[in-house]
Amino acid sequence: MHGRAGSVRLAGALFALGVVSGAPVSAETPAPPPRPPEAVYAKTCGYCHGQHVAPVIRGRAIPAEMTQAIVRRGQRAMPAFRPTEISNAELKALALWLKASKADPKEHDQ
Amino acid sequence: MTGVTRRDLIRTGAVGAALMGSSAFASPLDGPRQLPAHLDKGVFAAAVAELRAVVGADWVFADPESTLPYAKSSTPDPRHEHVPSGAVAPGTVEEVQAILKIANHYKLPLWTVSTGKNMGYGCATPASSGQMILDLKRMNRIIHIDAELGTALVEPGVTYQDLHDYLEANNLPFWLDVPTVGPIVSPVGNTLERGVGYTPYGDHFFMQCGMEVVLADGTLVRTGMGSVQNSTTWQAFKWGYGPYVDGIFTQSNFGVVTKLGFWLMPKPPAFKPFMVRHNAMGDVAKIVDAMRPFRMSNLIPNVVLMMGAAYQIAMFHRREELWDKPESIPEEVVRSFARKHGLGMWNTYFALYGTDEIIAAIEPIVRRAFEASGGEVLTEKEMGGNLWFEHHKNLMSGQLTLEEKGIMRWRGGGMVCFAPVAPAKGIETQQQTELAKEILGRYGFDYSVAYAIGGRELHHLIFIQYDKEDPAEEKKADDCIREMITRFGARGWASYRTGVNTMDLVAQQYGEANRALNARLKQALDPNHILSPGKQGIA
Repeated sequence: MHGRAGSVRLAGALFALGVVSGAPVSAETPAPPPRPPEAVYAKTCGYCHGQHVAPVIRGRAIPAEMTQAIVRRGQRAMPAFRPTEISNAELKALALWLKASKADPKEHDQ
Repeated sequence: MTGVTRRDLIRTGAVGAALMGSSAFASPLDGPRQLPAHLDKGVFAAAVAELRAVVGADWVFADPESTLPYAKSSTPDPRHEHVPSGAVAPGTVEEVQAILKIANHYKLPLWTVSTGKNMGYGCATPASSGQMILDLKRMNRIIHIDAELGTALVEPGVTYQDLHDYLEANNLPFWLDVPTVGPIVSPVGNTLERGVGYTPYGDHFFMQCGMEVVLADGTLVRTGMGSVQNSTTWQAFKWGYGPYVDGIFTQSNFGVVTKLGFWLMPKPPAFKPFMVRHNAMGDVAKIVDAMRPFRMSNLIPNVVLMMGAAYQIAMFHRREELWDKPESIPEEVVRSFARKHGLGMWNTYFALYGTDEIIAAIEPIVRRAFEASGGEVLTEKEMGGNLWFEHHKNLMSGQLTLEEKGIMRWRGGGMVCFAPVAPAKGIETQQQTELAKEILGRYGFDYSVAYAIGGRELHHLIFIQYDKEDPAEEKKADDCIREMITRFGARGWASYRTGVNTMDLVAQQYGEANRALNARLKQALDPNHILSPGKQGIA
């Protein structure tokens, strides 16, 4: 329940000092481990694609490069997704998974 | 298969080629990136180098290729006035503070976003070109859920999906209240924009409790009870002591909110969704007058959606299935298509919550009132399995869906929302509907709307759908929303929120004294104007 109690305490300490100096911080925040393509699809793409909203994209052997380009720039009505939302590693894996995927009969076009 | 066409393949190929190198963009206006007008290239490069030292090279985006996703928006921008210069994505509060120090030094303007999916209002794009996006998506920690009090404290990058997954994984008996694009947007961003959802907790800012803000000079402030040493009531009591300041950090550019607290709705023992179907556009006044006492007394406790037929159809169907002409779709065509799918011209969705006994006591009262207004009161018994009924049932019970995003496909990806407030009085909603139809009709756009009904007012959410890839259409959509804002404003009806292309126009309607007060606050808190200049018309 208390995911980052430490950060709360640190923030409290900074507040007690009043103005914080803004000194450069040395440690970069580590990237979280990549999510598997199935999870990225289920929690982002799959809300529209195949759900009466956007076209079915599974089972169509869509070239991986095309998927990557469309995700990053957005395709007409589709929003763009940034590396802060879907990392480059996740996107690469998603594009390959999608290309090799089979159609799901439960999905519907638009 | 209408989605990925040969034309798309060709177009994507061209983009792919462009992505190979920035030289593909001959002019800044051709690409997704523009430098701040007052910074030369060398100064901008120096600022970028310092930002990289803070967050790491992977989290600074300062070339056309990596800026591309930040430039995507469905709102009209015919004069290229909303093109970012790049983006920086901190992972911690300390990194935010370090970034602001650099921005102050270089006078680098930063446009803050949480998840950058402000659909219909500009997504992640800034109010003026050249701003660098301060992308808080990486700050995605659920800091605390209090299972006894039903409160949450989260960072800006947490999505409703993340929170939903957390509640499920920990078997916590709470419902979220989601906006219509819940899975990919954040409670922090939506609450700060004063967005709404559709359960009894639908007024998100009302349910907000405590925030942490980094001011432009790096000062870290906690609002409400959060600044009391060893406080255990930060998410329990909103008002704190002395002036209540949370409001000035919503729809504003006075600070960077890095944590936000809010309340979670206890899962009710019983829930019953309803739809009321009215078959004439002119029924709008009767519906509003029938609904008002129930919302004022809270007998109907949720934020109610009164959905126009054209909007509902656009969720799951394409315009060419109904109408192949450039002019607005005639009402009769919409009515006929709607009827085939179990819809009326107005479809009003509300729910009752509590126990079976409570619902059984309230239902007959509500049913009588809406039947008297000429509506058919429908429940799961009649409508179960209907795509639209199921969608609204999900929204009213805090489930995640993106189905309303389908409306953006109506005319080629362009969509901008005009959102005037109406008092909950039938006559004025009817007048708003008539004025909106008249203006939209002259531009050839369809009346595609949802009214979100609060306690005493309605957000009249009017979606202008257009072809974003046709420059003439884009200009027309921009002209149309400006005319709507101006003419509604002349009647005393102003927007509760607006897209980046019209923030200044709407701010003018709130008057000079209001603007001057905001300007004085801004000058005191951010004298270098580095935080989101132009946000809500505040320079």
